[in-house]
Amino acid sequence: MWTLARKILLHDRIKFTVAAAGVSISVMLVLVQIGLYLGFMQNASNLIDHATADVWVTGEGSENFDFSAPIDERAFYRVASVPGVAHAERMLLAFGQFRLADGGTQGVQVVGLEPGGRLLRPWNVVAGDPARIHQAGAIMVDVTEAAKLKLDRVGERREIFGVRAEVVGLTRGIRSFTTSPFVWTDLDSARAYALYPAERFNYVLVEAAPGVDPGDLARRLDQLPGLDAYTGPTMSARARHYWSSRTGVGAGFFTTAALGVIVGLVVVGQILYNGTLEHLKEYGTLKAMGARDGAILRVIVYQALISAAVGLVLGGGLALAARAAMAGANLNVLLTRDLVIVTAILTAVMCCLASLLSVIKVLRLDPASVFKG
Amino acid sequence: MTERTPIASLAGVSKIYGAGETQVNALEGADLSVYPGEILLIEGPSGSGKTTLISILGLLMRPTSGDVFVRGQRVTGLAQRELPPIRAGTFGFIFQGFNLFPALTAEENVAIAIKMKDPRARDADAEARRLLTAVGLDNRMHHKPGDLSGGQKQRVAIARALGGDPPIIIGDEPTAALDTRTALGVMALLRELASIQGRAVVVVTHDPRLERFADRVARVEDGRVTAVDTIDHSRAA
Repeated sequence: MWTLARKILLHDRIKFTVAAAGVSISVMLVLVQIGLYLGFMQNASNLIDHATADVWVTGEGSENFDFSAPIDERAFYRVASVPGVAHAERMLLAFGQFRLADGGTQGVQVVGLEPGGRLLRPWNVVAGDPARIHQAGAIMVDVTEAAKLKLDRVGERREIFGVRAEVVGLTRGIRSFTTSPFVWTDLDSARAYALYPAERFNYVLVEAAPGVDPGDLARRLDQLPGLDAYTGPTMSARARHYWSSRTGVGAGFFTTAALGVIVGLVVVGQILYNGTLEHLKEYGTLKAMGARDGAILRVIVYQALISAAVGLVLGGGLALAARAAMAGANLNVLLTRDLVIVTAILTAVMCCLASLLSVIKVLRLDPASVFKG
Repeated sequence: MTERTPIASLAGVSKIYGAGETQVNALEGADLSVYPGEILLIEGPSGSGKTTLISILGLLMRPTSGDVFVRGQRVTGLAQRELPPIRAGTFGFIFQGFNLFPALTAEENVAIAIKMKDPRARDADAEARRLLTAVGLDNRMHHKPGDLSGGQKQRVAIARALGGDPPIIIGDEPTAALDTRTALGVMALLRELASIQGRAVVVVTHDPRLERFADRVARVEDGRVTAVDTIDHSRAA
């Protein structure tokens, strides 16, 4: 049956090329659009996912990880004194204005870390010494943001909201969802760079004591007045969910991906249906001779699956090429194994759905019709 | 001939298409038996009911009334899903237009029919080669229909019809698209299938020249089998 399916499909090479192109474009659109979405979502929860904190505490009612409400020292001590908290440290995430070498400005997201803190640190350090960020006025930035910040070397000096900043280290691949470059520094410098009041910050990172369930601890911390507390995974999901659902970003990417699937459906459906119509007499002859519907339907579904397989390989190649091209524009197309598996299943389902009209045609085919000229 | 047992027969078969003012009586009270080892021609003008007759005989269509028997079994009352296995084991079909897959070689066209008739068939390819050799196409097995003459295509179709070893071959004007010499060659092959292999061959035709290969001719007019004549070959000789 595979042989028959393959030969029927490849008999008209032009039609097969069109079908393969349709599936390929569909696969590429799905992979690139969802890959871009995943890349953005990865950025949205980048800091949370790389932190080792069991629980994140922030000001009550904060919806967005990047724009969280400030909290004060009293809140920190209340958190630290809750039974089950082994260790707590403050963190500030706020926006600042980075003065460029040419006199212009660039908005940045300042990440202020507590001296001696261990629950969140810059990772993928490619130059400099991360320990130095706890020196006053020391910052670390990401090399992929070099074009925006117009700097690329350790030792360069700039100002953030008029306050001196010296680059003491470089990371690679730590990017924000807001597209404002992260600037890593210590807590006091961060307050200065973000025009934040003294003794204010917006996150307390908590390490649970051994044997303490982070979920239980988060629920207890959440009872504290004026504070919200979430486990690391919950915090991460909230950060992604906000940008995905509240801004329409998710809908935008998924709509384009859905359009890709529709394009594939229509193209493959049209090609398979035409092919079925062309071979209706032959299929009718086989039915007349006693071939079961199932045997003939397998030939049609196999054609759909062959189209899916070829389109998946070609579309996957196109998506890899697109990813490489987009990397140059600092766009992260995250092609995970799960995404590839889901896309492969989706493509197979899409092609099988596209064969539905052909299947119905064959099921309704009256074997006596072979005698009608 | 009358002492023999028919392999298939129609008893009082009628077929009505449509209803009311658009009703058409395509076949009315047709009685016809088909015997092993014979060639039975079905002759009649266009629209006379020949196609309906062989469609019902080949279990491709249900009669409105009357009974169809295959190997002595009344099959008229069987469920639709029970018919394909009976067709697969009983009938082979050949057509004016050959109905071969253009993408497949002669061998593949025959083998796929064998596999579709019986998914458990072992070594369908070898069986296809044997059948193609039997119809004189041993040197054309790997040719696609587009590379074969009309007569060769019809021989492939005959080999395909023989897949699964059916006792009855039904042909719908199988020689209409062929030149005289080729048509006679195809009929000679069908004659062998009947005389040597003992199969029943039923052929719908408009061509009276084919009567020389036939044992009997059934004449159909206005939906009725008006006559079934036995051909006296000794007189023709």
